[in-house]
Amino acid sequence: MKNLKSLLEIHSDDPDNKRRGQLLNILLLGLAALSLLVLLVTIIADLSTLETNVGPLYMGSFIMLGSTILIFAVNHYRSAQTASILFLALFTIILVLSDEPAQIVNGRSTFLFTVPIIMASFILSPWASFLMAGVSSLLIASLDIFVLDSTPGVPTMLGFFAVALVSWLASRSLEATLQELRVLNRDLELRVEERTRELEEANQQLEEANAHLRELDRLKSLFVAMVSHELRTPLTSIQGFTQMLLVSIYGALTNEQQSAVERVLANTKRLIKIVNDLLDKTRIEAGQLALHPTSFSPVELIDDVHTSMKMLAKQRGLELTSEVAPELAATLYGDQGRLHQILVNLVNNGLKFTDKGQVNIRAYRFDGAHWAMEVRDTGIGIPVKSQESIFEAFRQVDASVTRRRKGVGLGLSISRQLIELMGGRIIVASEINEGSKFTAIIPFTAPH
Amino acid sequence: MKQLHAIIIEDEVDLATIFSEALKAGGFTTEVINDGAEAMARLDSISPDIIILDLHLPNVGGREILTRIRATPELAKTQVLVTTADSHLAEMVEPQADLVLLKPIGFLQLQTLAKRLGSQAREEE
Repeated sequence: MKNLKSLLEIHSDDPDNKRRGQLLNILLLGLAALSLLVLLVTIIADLSTLETNVGPLYMGSFIMLGSTILIFAVNHYRSAQTASILFLALFTIILVLSDEPAQIVNGRSTFLFTVPIIMASFILSPWASFLMAGVSSLLIASLDIFVLDSTPGVPTMLGFFAVALVSWLASRSLEATLQELRVLNRDLELRVEERTRELEEANQQLEEANAHLRELDRLKSLFVAMVSHELRTPLTSIQGFTQMLLVSIYGALTNEQQSAVERVLANTKRLIKIVNDLLDKTRIEAGQLALHPTSFSPVELIDDVHTSMKMLAKQRGLELTSEVAPELAATLYGDQGRLHQILVNLVNNGLKFTDKGQVNIRAYRFDGAHWAMEVRDTGIGIPVKSQESIFEAFRQVDASVTRRRKGVGLGLSISRQLIELMGGRIIVASEINEGSKFTAIIPFTAPH
Repeated sequence: MKQLHAIIIEDEVDLATIFSEALKAGGFTTEVINDGAEAMARLDSISPDIIILDLHLPNVGGREILTRIRATPELAKTQVLVTTADSHLAEMVEPQADLVLLKPIGFLQLQTLAKRLGSQAREEE
């Protein structure tokens, strides 16, 4: 079926030409089938000796078959128009030869001449039906005058032209409809193309905006890193000179001076911490922060943190306790400095958001592959909806809290990123007005 | 008791002062050089017990100076303490230095270190 279809296919840029060519091919196929049928009947008649004069029938069917193939070839390789003219000529010749002149002019075969008239309007052009009516009329008139010696039958000719008129109308309206459809189709294609182009443009713009954002982000990181670095140098000097004043390098201070300088130092340290956090944050985000794992003692780590945070807890009137579970190994492997930083951040956070009660630090074996540092407080708690966003940079549950509880909110964000860099994770459990528990779960073996 | 001498090669004047005071508190006499080229020129004529060397210096870099110190036989006994803010760079120079200090370095931190180094050096005498 597919092969047959491709055989009937006509390749042409003009859609009308193509349609006509294909229509002609269908007619040719029918004619070929008819020729074969005639041939078959002739053979049967020949064999059964019903008909003795089979010579012309054989010849006729072979000529028809040959002509069909020839026209098909012209249609396929040359032009549909030429093929159509050849087909109409062949058809007319067959008609003229198929019956006695009297029957053709005014008898059983006359009506057959309307067939090529209708065909012409479809396979050649709508107006070709009139041409074909003219040719048929001329043929019949010629037969009348030259063969039958009678006057041509005008009513027959008029009939031919009436058929041509109807056929012309039908074929023309068909072509007009097809033309409209093609216009609609093209319009639709144009619109689809336009939409596609618009989409592509929008995509392109998005891509550019994205690239621009990435560049801005990179510049932001670079800027923060540079500014932090530039800030650290003078801050270090301020800290150094303040420490020198405090140890009386430049002479003894009065009590008031001592207390003022202590406050300068405390604020400088806070500022240094913020700058360091910012620097860490940008380094982590730029993927430039490398861990330096060594063997260390968890007991020492917890003790160090406890010692350094004891003063702050006391100032806030809170109790700070710490314990290391006995089943935890005596030596662990990891970046001690960064673990210290994480734990200090968690304890700091606990102290910051607890007004009375205590903060506990605990290190223990979490499972076969992980150990954990846990910081539990009896503070204000974190609403469930905020338990994820507290790990975002510059975020505290309530923006107004920032002023009361010092800090820019980088600690938790950095802690989580550091823990993730170590291949671990942090989980939080909290109840409003009861307290919060942060657990940093860290693998025993550092990731490579 | 022998007076120990320290040379501080650091272009940040404030930092150099802090280092200098910390070392003095640790019992050292100190001298500050603010420029890499000047430090390079004077390497032949000095023999301090300790050199505090910043890696980021004008004209001649600290790493070049460090290499030169290690190639000078007269300075074989000198302890070199390298200071830098760059942890990556710190790791790279670690094999050549006696000690690498990562900036920021506080006064108290350096003072404690200076005292320890001072008593260590005197014990060796």
